[in-house]
Amino acid sequence: MKAVRKVLCVVLVLLMAVACFTGCKKENKSDKEYVQEKGVLVVGITDFAPMDYQDEDGNWIGFDADLAKAFAKKLGVKVEFQLIDWDNKAFELEGKAIDVVWNGMTITDKVKAAMDCSNPYCNNQQMVIVKKSVADQYTTKDSVKGLKFAVEEGSAGQEQVEALGAEFTPVADQTAALLEVKAGTADAAVIDSLMAAATVGEGTDYADLMYTVGLNDEQYGVGFRKGSDLVDELNAFFKEYYESGEMLKLAKKYKIVESAIIEQK
Amino acid sequence: MFMTVIRSLNEGFLETLKLFAVTLLGALPLGLVISFGSMSRFTPLRWFTRTVVWVVRGTPLMLQLIILFYVPGFVLDSNPWAIENGRFWAAAVAFILNYACYFSEIYRGGIQGVPVGQQEAGQVLGMTKRQIFFKVTLLQMIKRIVPPMSNEVITLVKDTAIARIIAWQELIYAGYAFLKGSHGYAGLMWPLFFTGLYYLAFSGVLTLFFGWLEKKMSYFRS
Repeated sequence: MKAVRKVLCVVLVLLMAVACFTGCKKENKSDKEYVQEKGVLVVGITDFAPMDYQDEDGNWIGFDADLAKAFAKKLGVKVEFQLIDWDNKAFELEGKAIDVVWNGMTITDKVKAAMDCSNPYCNNQQMVIVKKSVADQYTTKDSVKGLKFAVEEGSAGQEQVEALGAEFTPVADQTAALLEVKAGTADAAVIDSLMAAATVGEGTDYADLMYTVGLNDEQYGVGFRKGSDLVDELNAFFKEYYESGEMLKLAKKYKIVESAIIEQK
Repeated sequence: MFMTVIRSLNEGFLETLKLFAVTLLGALPLGLVISFGSMSRFTPLRWFTRTVVWVVRGTPLMLQLIILFYVPGFVLDSNPWAIENGRFWAAAVAFILNYACYFSEIYRGGIQGVPVGQQEAGQVLGMTKRQIFFKVTLLQMIKRIVPPMSNEVITLVKDTAIARIIAWQELIYAGYAFLKGSHGYAGLMWPLFFTGLYYLAFSGVLTLFFGWLEKKMSYFRS
């Protein structure tokens, strides 16, 4: 009898704990209201030139950073940039540690499953990176099929390599993929063309690497929490910003080719 | 370029030191409290404490960080860590709890390793329980636990790097940033490897400190 009472006690306590958690669950506030009430839009980024990076004084600038600042201004809130671990971007959003992922994020099915995305605003390519010394052998999509790849785990690059049917090792991030190529543990890496332009070649530690083939065309979007009304808000803002010519001006400022920017309708 | 990188690494190292110091400040006393719990004669408390120690020691610190930092935001209206330096405090709480559990076992070993005869001698001399603990047991325990504690403390120096999983910008994070592109430099590999020197230098200082401490305590030798 005593044992039964003990068990009953434990069960009741657990039930109470659960009731407490569900009891104080979210009220029905829209995401826009939530951000405006708090007065700050927390933008999740990684250090990624030319989209989000720091100037000499430590201020965040870049194509995406400047867009985010303009969007926050329109919402009437302050903007705050928060460096995140890219693997945890969905956690960061749902855990409300950040309000938006805005960092040259390729729209893929995996991304769309984890968050709600804005309209695409920028074109990108997945580029194959190999050692300079062998680059002239790998100039077509077919020629790279037999290579051993290193790609960022869960990245758009991985999807491309999977589609190609090539052998690959998933690594922590795009730079780790480059490291594999440089160290000779992989033949080739696949990274974003915008990033490739900034990190590979003369003046970097990857001077002996170069990009050869573009595997696909893809598009960048901005990610919000599931069901957020900020998605429509941002799409409207993009349209306005594009039509006023500001978006192309911004692209020019950060040396992004005009053809990469997608017309906002 | 060198100065920019060093300045950035220094900033990261300062953050590492901050987490290191706060963790020790919190975990050293908390560990003692937990060790009392796990030696308690009140059975439910003893079992509760031992279960907590089991869970905390039995799961990866990385996982504890992720749960502690993100999960409150899943269930609540807003994330309680959305405060100034929230990521640091979340990391500090996880590290303090984690290290306190490890410390508590070292304390327990130290306390239970003091011969019972010493407490009995204290009783014979008419000392109170409190006096016996602080003046007899605790002092000898401290001497006994210096070597295992130095182990844990030096491990802590390097474990702080785990906090980068919740994007808290400590030393490794700062070094890694130059690979991805930071402060106008991208694709730099050496800053990451260079961070090793910071850890090495700091644990060198700690090793010297613990060596000195052990010598200082040696007059307790029975």
